[in-house]
Amino acid sequence: MTSDTVYHTVYVTYYMSNGKDANVEVFENLKLELRRGCLTLAVLTQLRAERYGYTLRKALADDGLEIDEGTLYPLLRRHETQGLLVSQWREEDKRNKRFYRLSAQGERTLEQLLAEWQRINASLSKILQEA
Amino acid sequence: MKTTNRNSMELLDRYLQAVGFWLPKAQQQDIIAELSEDLRSQIEEKEAGLGRSLNETELDAILKQRGRPVLVANRYLPQRSLIGPVLFPIYLFVVKLVASFYLLPWILVWIGLMSFSSSYRAEHTSAGWLNAIGSAWSAWWLIALFALGGVTLVFAILEQVQTKSRFLEDWNPRKLPPARNPNQIARSGSVIEVVVNLMFGIWWIDVMSTLVPLSRPEIRIVLSPVWRYFFWGFLVLALINAVLAAANLARPYWTVLRAGFRLATNVTASALFCWMAKASLLAEIGGANIPLARRLDITNAINLGVAKVFPVVLATGVVIAVIDVRRILRVRNAAPAQFKAVSAAVV
Repeated sequence: MTSDTVYHTVYVTYYMSNGKDANVEVFENLKLELRRGCLTLAVLTQLRAERYGYTLRKALADDGLEIDEGTLYPLLRRHETQGLLVSQWREEDKRNKRFYRLSAQGERTLEQLLAEWQRINASLSKILQEA
Repeated sequence: MKTTNRNSMELLDRYLQAVGFWLPKAQQQDIIAELSEDLRSQIEEKEAGLGRSLNETELDAILKQRGRPVLVANRYLPQRSLIGPVLFPIYLFVVKLVASFYLLPWILVWIGLMSFSSSYRAEHTSAGWLNAIGSAWSAWWLIALFALGGVTLVFAILEQVQTKSRFLEDWNPRKLPPARNPNQIARSGSVIEVVVNLMFGIWWIDVMSTLVPLSRPEIRIVLSPVWRYFFWGFLVLALINAVLAAANLARPYWTVLRAGFRLATNVTASALFCWMAKASLLAEIGGANIPLARRLDITNAINLGVAKVFPVVLATGVVIAVIDVRRILRVRNAAPAQFKAVSAAVV
């Protein structure tokens, strides 16, 4: 085996492993972008009925949309600041829990978002069929 | 339902306290209460599944999965940056300019002075070379810190202004600079180059072809015989540059050949300038009414003064050569198809 062969092997191995990592990273970033808007839609829809954070997370997970608490709670707070949600601390099972539900403004916004989602979905389906 | 033991609960409290440390006071209590409730719900669920209370290792795993306290707290905080994504590319561009045209030349000039200026070297190496390098290094860091710190501060202020006024959003596409091809040569530049080189050649032959370019009763300048080499050298260079500029005028895009010629003429000119700085060109200067000894003193002083410029001349020559070499590489690396398209468009 010559030194050139060794260099070549090392180079190819390095390139392939790093290229693979880069691909995974690109996919993860794109997936994150894709999920971001969908999560808002799912959370607002679930909060048509009053829930507290933990049960909301479970409900989303049961429907196949896993969301970690580090994403969910800041998202809930952001939407509450935006006036889309209202919250209330209440005792349940001898523990204080914060219950969230959609506000009137949130309901209107959700309707608009769902209409937009349907429009995008229809366009995307058409594009995918044509492709 | 069983509950976790005291040690585990203490671990949970420690975690919540650590998260709370990074949160703003106004929201701290509220966020921690909610986070605590969520964690306790998760723990309860897990305990219900196992039929026993969680041990410390299991609680440890849950907290590790939640993430480092500072990162967890960070998710609740608004996105903040000293310089935001709108201004960051401009900031980076300015930093590169400062590094390329201030910090890097500073080092090059220092190296040049230490290499070629004996007086500068003697002054700065009196306490040893290591000391000289150390003090130059610390001086450079201080300059870099102030320069880059100043730029960062200005951009941080601009970021605040931009956030409030959105001044960057007010722009006019018509005011954008024209599309530029780096391999294209401006025809106006070539015209100026032809004219300047020809005028220089005529003046050069008229005034500088003699060893006594100025001879008046009040002042007389006499050059040493070595001047002949410089006279012919600069004259030939001016003519070559005029021909090259004329070629650039006819075909206003760089080719490897012409870029190579430009490198050769610039390197030759730099070499001539360096030689000139060291050649003690002035044989005599002064008026007839000045005593000979005084005239010699003035002549020597001027020759020494010119010699001190040598490092600057050399550094300038190196910078020009680097620019020329980069041009050659750029032209050589340009894709042939793109090159043809560019040349067809501009000729």
